[in-house]
Amino acid sequence: MSSRATIYSFLGIGLAATLLLIVAPVAYAISLSFYRMDSFVGTPQWAGLDNYARVLSDWTFWRALINGFVYSLGTIVLQVVLGIGFALVLNQVFPFRNIVRGLSILPYLLPTVVVVLTFKWMVDGSIGVLTAVIAALGLPPVSWFESPAAAMTSVILVSVWMWTPFVTTTFLAALQTVPASLYEAAKVDGTNAVQRFFHITLPMLKPILTVIVLLRAVWMFNKFDVIWLLTQGGPVGATEHLAILSYKTAFSLFDIGGGAAIATISFLILSVAVFIYFRLFPLDTD
Amino acid sequence: MAQVTLNKVRKAYGSVVAVHGVDLHIQDGEFVVFLGPSGCGKSTTLRMIAGLEEITSGTIEIGARDVTRLEPKDRNIAMVFQNYALYPHKTIYENLAFGLRMRKMERTEIDRRVKAASAMLGLDPYLERKPKQLSGGQMQRVALGRALVREPEVFLLDEPLSNLDAKLRVRMREEIARLHQEVGTSMVYVTHDQVEAMTLADRIVIMRDGHVQQVGRPLEVYDRPQNLFVAGFIGAPEMNLVEGRAEGGRFAAGGLALDLPPGVSAREGTALVVGVRPEHMPAGQAPGALALEVSVIEQLGAQTLLIGRIGATRMRVLVERTDAVRPGSVVPVSLRPERLHVFDAGTGMRIESGNAQAGARPAA
Repeated sequence: MSSRATIYSFLGIGLAATLLLIVAPVAYAISLSFYRMDSFVGTPQWAGLDNYARVLSDWTFWRALINGFVYSLGTIVLQVVLGIGFALVLNQVFPFRNIVRGLSILPYLLPTVVVVLTFKWMVDGSIGVLTAVIAALGLPPVSWFESPAAAMTSVILVSVWMWTPFVTTTFLAALQTVPASLYEAAKVDGTNAVQRFFHITLPMLKPILTVIVLLRAVWMFNKFDVIWLLTQGGPVGATEHLAILSYKTAFSLFDIGGGAAIATISFLILSVAVFIYFRLFPLDTD
Repeated sequence: MAQVTLNKVRKAYGSVVAVHGVDLHIQDGEFVVFLGPSGCGKSTTLRMIAGLEEITSGTIEIGARDVTRLEPKDRNIAMVFQNYALYPHKTIYENLAFGLRMRKMERTEIDRRVKAASAMLGLDPYLERKPKQLSGGQMQRVALGRALVREPEVFLLDEPLSNLDAKLRVRMREEIARLHQEVGTSMVYVTHDQVEAMTLADRIVIMRDGHVQQVGRPLEVYDRPQNLFVAGFIGAPEMNLVEGRAEGGRFAAGGLALDLPPGVSAREGTALVVGVRPEHMPAGQAPGALALEVSVIEQLGAQTLLIGRIGATRMRVLVERTDAVRPGSVVPVSLRPERLHVFDAGTGMRIESGNAQAGARPAA
């Protein structure tokens, strides 16, 4: 086979896979948003932008959008701040460091269902360990899934618990790439530990941090399983974001066109956000 | 400017001792070079002076202050690192100014010092660039500049030229010598390159396995190496070292019998090592000349290195350039007693004229 044929055949396989597995489903989902459909078996009827008009004029959409921002912002900020903090601690020299490093990634390895069940068990009204701790501290009991604020706090807490190890591990790996002599030069230059973090660590790791924040943002904005398993968007929509709303609209209310329209809008918002993000924080820092 | 005093400075990593009790007094304005092979403890010693390594025992004083337990930033030192250690995300100007900014110096004073250093080192065209956009030589100049603006009491330089190519190294060597003359601050310089040490140093500290072997002016360590290690380490090509014994007041080894230098004597039968530098064996017929059977010829340009045997003893001889010698040629070379360095083979120490006789029993 000539090298040109090799190139095209490899390219062709990749292209076909992309078309079949990514472009086609997305195009299909987007196309659904222009039809009126109340089941997957009936004949779809052309609806133009009706679905969009209907969805956008519904206040539950806007509530879900705001919930989505609150959830992603809360989880990203906490994950990144805690993740970096843990990474800095794990980067120090202490006994059994490798074991502790290994253990710290554990939550990330657990299936979401396990993490969610564990959390539910911990906050159980009668036998939960958190419930007991709160009672022991003399604080009023928290209704984790009944009050809107507490429910949002729960989903954020569980998400942070699960995915902070990703930030920690990535940041810890990146920390190993900073030459020790830079810190030494900065020590001689008269910096304290905090100044070294802001003048050396953070600027050196800005490219990796940019990617971490982006990945976490995309994943958290689309995150479905944790919220679905914990609250299903409740109570009364307090934790319902666009992914949950889209699912409920399509599969509970059998408004498939409406659900597809919500998913499409969510996709557009994310695309624009990513575009702006790369404009603000170009990966090539020079 | 200040003196630096090391009192029994020792560094151990667990049971491994990297530096065994170094005592050293560095004069105000002196240029001292730590020289030795890798792993000899020279960098560790420098880093202990900087405060980047904790000291296991002993004390370090800079000026009148005991700095043993002080942080690097409180020692009033500046350091130049082997890999430059410039802050890659800061411009050259910011790199130079950083240490001053961290010390809350006034902006106008920072600017004055940065401009002065940059003029001195020819960095003016690069001040707004990032380190990545500079060549190795320019980066090393920035690293020197960063130390310079601090106007410290002592400059510490850790193999600053070893990342540069040979030609640039020579240029930067001259530049460092010039800088030292201009600012007159004490400098402590670590290298494994004896040419750097010989050309830059006021005094050389030769180290091996964490022990100081000899401290002396460059020509002093060349002329009178205190032990076998220094003898073999200083000088290129390496000194010829011949093992033998004292016999009838002379040195005998494998059919070779040499007079000992005036004033040097050794007890009959003592195991000795005699050293002679290749450049100290002139070729040509002379009374008492020895016959060198040449096996390898290395042309160095202005000089020719002849490698061969005198009797059973392997010798290297450095002579004026000659094109006539071939492998197998026999060349007469002279070996004058006063050119010989005599060492006690047991202790490895130099036997000086006027010294106690080698092999003598200690007085009861």
